This record gives sequence, C-alpha cells and structure tokens, in this order.
Amino acid sequence: MADKRLIADLSVKGFDPNLYVSRAAEGGEDALLDLKQRIHILGDKTAQELKKNVYKNYSQFIDTAREISIVEGEMYQLSHMLTEQKGLMASMMEMSLVSDKAVVEEPQKEAEPEINPKEETRRNLAFLLEKVEGCSSVTEVPGRQLIHNGDLTELDIESLTPTQKVHAFLLTDSLMIASWLPNRRGPVRYRFQGLYELDNLAVVNVRDAGPVKNAFKILMFPASKIYQTDSAKSKRQWLDILEETKKKKASRDKQKKEVVQRLAEQQSVASLSRVEEASKTSFVDEEDKTTLVEFETDTLLQEDWLQELPENLDMCIAQRDFEGAVDLVEKVNEYLKESSKSPSLKEFRARIDHRVKQLTEGLMSELQVSPERSLRGGPRAARRAVAQLIRLGKSAQACDLFLKNRSAIIKYNIRQLKFEGATTLYIRCMCAVFFNSLLETSKEFLKAFPNHYGCYSAFIVWCKQELELFVKTFNRHVFDGKTSSTTVAECVSISRKHCQELCQSGLDIAYLFDGLISSDLENTIIEKREQLKDIVKYRSADDLWRPMNHMSQKDCQKYLDEMASARMDLKDYVYQECFISLTMNTAQFAKSCFQYTEDLLLVYSQEHEALITDSLVQVISEQLQHIEASLKSDKFKEDHNFILKNALFIVEVLMGRLERLYRDFQVTFPPELNAIRENYKHLKAVAKSVKT
Amino acid sequence: MSKAKTQQPAVIHKVIMVGSGGVGKSALTLQFMYEEFVEDYEPTKADSYRKKVVLDGEEVQIDILDTAGQEDYAAIRDNYFRSGEGFLCVFSITEQESFQATSEFREQILRVKNDDNIPFLLVGNKADLEEKRQVTAEEAQHRAQQWNVPYVETSAKTNANVDKVFYDLMREIRSRKMDASKQNNGKKIKKKDSKRKKCTIL
Ligand SMILES: Nc1nc2c(ncn2[C@@H]2O[C@H](COP(=O)(O)OP(=O)(O)O)[C@@H](O)[C@H]2O)c(=O)[nH]1
Ligand SMILES: [Mg+2]
Repeated sequence: MADKRLIADLSVKGFDPNLYVSRAAEGGEDALLDLKQRIHILGDKTAQELKKNVYKNYSQFIDTAREISIVEGEMYQLSHMLTEQKGLMASMMEMSLVSDKAVVEEPQKEAEPEINPKEETRRNLAFLLEKVEGCSSVTEVPGRQLIHNGDLTELDIESLTPTQKVHAFLLTDSLMIASWLPNRRGPVRYRFQGLYELDNLAVVNVRDAGPVKNAFKILMFPASKIYQTDSAKSKRQWLDILEETKKKKASRDKQKKEVVQRLAEQQSVASLSRVEEASKTSFVDEEDKTTLVEFETDTLLQEDWLQELPENLDMCIAQRDFEGAVDLVEKVNEYLKESSKSPSLKEFRARIDHRVKQLTEGLMSELQVSPERSLRGGPRAARRAVAQLIRLGKSAQACDLFLKNRSAIIKYNIRQLKFEGATTLYIRCMCAVFFNSLLETSKEFLKAFPNHYGCYSAFIVWCKQELELFVKTFNRHVFDGKTSSTTVAECVSISRKHCQELCQSGLDIAYLFDGLISSDLENTIIEKREQLKDIVKYRSADDLWRPMNHMSQKDCQKYLDEMASARMDLKDYVYQECFISLTMNTAQFAKSCFQYTEDLLLVYSQEHEALITDSLVQVISEQLQHIEASLKSDKFKEDHNFILKNALFIVEVLMGRLERLYRDFQVTFPPELNAIRENYKHLKAVAKSVKT
Repeated sequence: MSKAKTQQPAVIHKVIMVGSGGVGKSALTLQFMYEEFVEDYEPTKADSYRKKVVLDGEEVQIDILDTAGQEDYAAIRDNYFRSGEGFLCVFSITEQESFQATSEFREQILRVKNDDNIPFLLVGNKADLEEKRQVTAEEAQHRAQQWNVPYVETSAKTNANVDKVFYDLMREIRSRKMDASKQNNGKKIKKKDSKRKKCTIL
C-alpha cells in the first residue's frame, strides 16, 4: 500500500528529488529512516523486476534472432537458386558461344548461312546485359559477338601499382572494359566503363620488370591503360586473341569494302538479277545477303508466324519455357513436313535446327548433375525436362540423364545421413532413404517414360547398379566383423522388408539383394555358430552341476525377470525362494541359443535353410554332449537326477520354445531339430548304464 | 620515404623506337636494357620495357616502346606515337630503303604529336658493318640537319653509342618537360593535382 504511494510519488512527472527529500525530512528522523528503508526495498524490487524483464526480453530477443537467421537462410537459398539459374543461362549462352567460335575458326563453315547474325548477337550478348550494368548500347550492334573475356587488374600507368579490378570483354570489333563491383550478390557484377574499337586500339606487351609481371598495355586514345593478368598463359592468350581478332576485323573490313565496291560497279552495269548471282558466288556478308534474299519469293515462308518463329523460339528458350519451345518446334515440323527443299527453306530449317540443338542442350543441362547445382529442382523439374526431350525424340539421352540424376539424388541423400554409433539405426535410415528413392524413381520413371519400353531395360540395369552400390555401403557397416549377429539379423531383415515392399509395387530386387549379401551372411552364421560352440565347451569345463543359488528372493526374481525378457520362463524351477533347479550353464545356454535361433529366423531364406538347421543342431548337440559326458563322469555320479532334469529342460522346454519361434516366423520346424528331442531317451539310458 | 623514392622514381621518360623492320630497334633496346646482343630476335609485335636509370645524377625511369612497324590501322600506329615523349628513329646504314623510310616515320610522328620540336634522334644502326654501308654519314647528317635533330651512328652488336642515344634522347625529353612546366606553370601544377586526386579516389 505504502509502496504504491511511494511508487506514485517517485514516478510523478517532473519529480524533484531535493524537494521530496526536504519534505520527507520534515517528518523527523524515524520517518526519514522508515522512508529510507522503504526506498531501499523498492530499489531491490525494481532491480529484480528489471532483471526479469531483461530475461523475458532476452528470450524474445533469442526468438527474434532465430527467426531472422531462418529468414536469412531462406533468402540465401533463394539467392543461391537464382544465381544457379543465372549460371545455367550463362552456361547455355556460352555453349552457343563455343559453337560460334567454331564457326569463326572454320572458314568453310563461315560461308554457311546457318545463323542470322542479328539474332545471334542478341542472344550472345544478352547475358552481358545481365552481368554488366549500363552496357545496353553495346549489345545492340548487329553481328557483334563475344570472343574472349576475363578478369584483369588495372595498374596505374606510372607507378604500376594496382588500382582496380576490371573484367574485359573482347567483342568481334571492340573491347569492353567493365569495373568490378565489390560485395555484389546476384548477377550484376560489373559496371560498364568503356568500349574501345579495335581499329584504334594499340596493344603493347609489357616486359616483366621487377614485381610487375604478366602485364600488357592498351593504348586507346586518349586513355592508356595497363592491365595485369593472373598468369603468363592468360596474358599470352589475351595478346594472341587480341591480335587475331584485330586481324580478322581488318580482313573483314577489307572484304566488305571490296564487295561494296564490286556491287556498286556491277549495279551500274548489269541488272539486279545478275547482281544477285554475282553476290551469291562471291563471298557476301550476311547483311548484304539478307537484303538480296528479300527478292526471292517463297510463299511457304511468307507466313508471319513462321517469320517470327526463330525469335519466339529464342524467347521461349531464354525464359525456360521448354514446353512452349517444343510446341513451336512441333508446329513448324508439322507445317514444313510436306514442303520442298528449296534453298531458302533449307536455310530456314537450319535456323530452326540450330535452336532445337540449343533447346536440347538446355533440357539436358536441366537433368545434368554438377556439384555446384543443388538437387532441389527435384523430380518434377526432371520429369518436365524428360517429357520435352522425349517430344524432341531424344528419349535415350533423356533416360540416361534422368537415371544419372536420380543416382546423384540417392548418393546425396545417403550422404546426408550421419553415422553415429548405432548400426541398426543407421541402416534403418539408409534403407528408408534408398528404397524410397528406388520406389520414387520407379514411379517417376513410369510417369516420365510411359510406353517407352526400350528405356525400361535401362531402368532395370540402373536399379541393379544402384543396389550394388547400396549393398557395398550396407556390407561395410553390417558385416564389419564387429557387429553382433542380432544387429546383422535386424539389418538384413529391415532391408528384406523394403525389398518385399518394392516387389509389391512391381520391382523385384529381393533376389538380387539376397545374392549380394549371401556369402557375408553365411560367414556370419557360421562364425556365430562356432562362437557358441566354443562357449559351450568353455562353460562345460567349469560345470559343477549345482542349482543356481541367488541368495535372496529379490535377486532370484531379478534373474527370473532377466530370463523372461529372453522369453524363458523359469518360475516352475524355483524352490526355497532363492534356488533355481537348473545350472547357470543350462540357463545361459538356453538364453543364447534362443537368441541365435531368433537371429537366424530373422534372416531365414530357403537358400540358407540347410545351413541354419545344421548350425542349430550343431550348437545344441554340443551342449547335449556335455551332458552325456557329465553323466558318464565319475565326478557327478550323485547328480544324475539333477543332470537329467537339465537335459529335460533343454530337450523339452528349450526345443518347445524354438518350435514356437519357428511357428512365429512361419517357418516349418525342421525334422532335424525335432529329432533332438529323442536324445533324452538316450541320455537316460546312458545314466542307467553308468549306474549299473 | 627514401624507400618509396628508390622504388618508384617520380619521373618517367617515354621513348619510342621507330623504323623499318630489321634495322635493329629491338637489338638496340635489348642492348640498352640487358647489355646483350641478340642475334636472331623474332619480329616484334609491340613490347614495352621499363628501367631505372641515373640521368645526370637524377634517378629516373625510362619507358621504352619497341614497335613493330606494320600495323593494319593507321589509328593504332598513331596511338603508339601518341604515347611517346621522344623518338629514336632508326635505320640501318646497310639498307638504303630503311633510310628512305625514316622520312615517312618523321612525318607521321609530327602529324600525331603536332610539334616540330619533339625530342627526336636519327639513328644509323649497324655501324659495325662498315663494309656493307649503303647510307653515307653525310647524307644522314644532311637529313638530320634539315629536321634540326641530332644524328648518331650506333651498333647494337658492339654496343657503340647505344647508351648515348638513349641518354641523349632522355636529356632532350627532360629539357622539353622543364620548358613546358616553366611556360605554363600554374596550369601544369593544377593538372597534376587533379590527377593525384583521381588516383586516391580509385
Ligand atoms: N651486325 C649487326 N647486326 C645487327 C645490329 N642490330 C641488329 N642487328 C641484327 O639485325 C637483325 C634485325 O634486328 P632487330 O633488332 O630484330 O630489328 P627490328 O626489326 O628493328 O627490331 C637481327 O638479326 C640482329 O641481330 C647491329 O648493330 N649490327
Ligand atoms: Mg623488333
């Protein structure tokens, strides 16, 4: 109450501490002390409150930070995906650049009127627009192509110290320099700096001197620049390519001039048609040709949509509208199916074919797996690409790439799993990933390649290969010699179950799997068998044929519980609260034999039936031999009853348990095991014969 | 500070080698740069060299552009010439044609630099091949007088007068620079300032 007033007093707007204290002092010493006390308490409280608030805000702060980091992660992924797409575009562009280069380098090909230079340019240089800020005017020139490009360091022309990083683009007729934009994400990495025409650009090789290596000068009036490459090889390349490009430009210019001159001469003398002929036989630049081609009439090609088709096709490819692109291709194929083989049509065809090639490459790269590309595109993207490739008649390639793509996905997914200790858990996860991938792939495959029966065999072969890879990893983890047989059994049975599931959806690879693990599995069974037999021998040497004494009822119960967990019920053998009328040896043997049987049944297959039965018979016989030897021994003459009781336990109780286990696994109990029961009679006879 | 100075002497004199192919431009350059004579030197494209030298007690740098001669575009050749402050116009005394060609080079240089007093030396190389001489010292001297430039005979092979032509040219360049800075002192300093500013921005 008083606190509330105090708080109110203290939090009054324009609180004057001097006034407040002097007023409080009027009430005398006691009141003042009291006030001091109260203020003190209030102070403590406030501090505590403050702390609480800080904590509260702190957790909010952490939450917020977490949210932000998630958002940041998503943004990063987004930007990553975008750059990937850009990269893809760029690589597609570059692909076309490479082919252009080939055209430039091979003179015969140059003559082929395969490519319309205007469109080629637009496509080639379009990616510059995305990389370099402010270079749109550069890309508009017809016939201009990218020849070479690379990073350079600009040096100060006087002091030769580095001044900035640039990227140089050598075009057919000019050199474009763009400055590097630091700290830039996204595609725009450079800013346009200048464009220098090759015909007044002087290149000077700078001899290495002191620390300045791999430099060359570009004298371009009024500016002179000196650039440094990162290696001698790269400098050599720049110098050679600059020289070569300049030479090519010079000869092109010369030719152009000649053609223009000749045309002018002929035009003044002869008729237009003769000009056409002359220009056809001699080398004519693409541009001149197009003007002349206009005179030719080919009604078939006059259609507007056909004229625009190459451009539209380019657009579709650029926008990754693959369906649209294939639609166009199919449409034009249908339209031109019946037509004649006139030269102009051939030319048109070539233009289309060129784009179909590009389209195919684009689709293929969609399916291509490269380390820098994430697999996130997933099956849908792949299916889309496959569908279009099939429409283009490239089903074999599509199939191949599709399956490679899936292999990479499986590999990636398995690699994502962390192997931390528990083999069974890891195998369980790995199986889930692998078999689900197989299942998904088979579904996808059927969807993507409907009625392409030729591809199905490829799929089967692929499955086999993948399974082999899987089993390789599987074996490495499971059959490493250290894994317990129980774990092995669990892992094998997990995988088998998956195989059966796959089988239900029409893909039977169980037999393949069994075949691949068969020998390792057999070894494990045999190893375990020998191990158990050794243990029997070892224990037998120390067997004194005494009932178990657990000393107290509590401890006895504990043991009973332990055995019960291994599904051995020993309740009926208890007497005098803490005694069990079986030997420790018998009980332990029963337990491990039961476990072994369970493991074996878990990995049961007809192929291994004989081995399994034989192994169990061997192990149990070993124990019975011990019993027989004991009966024959003088040492245990007095213990025959007890020994036979143990024998009965094994032959009746344990064997009964095993039989039930077989039933649980729906495996017929083999006669060889059943026959073991007959041993009791034999043992009794032995006991009798020893006594008499 | 002194370290920075030794690393990068402030002054750079830019020299250009011109002349017909095979007269020994590269041989002269290499002799000056590395003090060695190269017997079979492949035809030059365009190489630039830089070297620290002491010119009359002052440490300076010389920047030599060894040109190729044939260029497809006149504009490109002009750009080479523009970048120079002084020229060694070389001919071989064993080849009359190379001597004739010097006139053309001179003309081109004057046109580009637009300056009759550009630092320029007429160099008659391969002086060691006296027995094959086709160009007399008199006619070369006569031409040099007409142009108002020095004439020097050199041999890249024996290293005769090689340093001399480079140093003489550098002296010419230096005195031209001094004249220029005297003439329009204010303007020049201002220009230098703005240049320095630009560098720091970059
Ligand atoms: N004997 C002699 N040969 C020279 C001399 N200078 C150059 N040469 C030779 O002349 C040829 C052309 O020289 P080079 O320097 O390549 O001429 P550039 O084309 O003007 O650079 C080379 O074989 C040189 O060895 C010289 O002073 N004396
Ligand atoms: Mg040379």
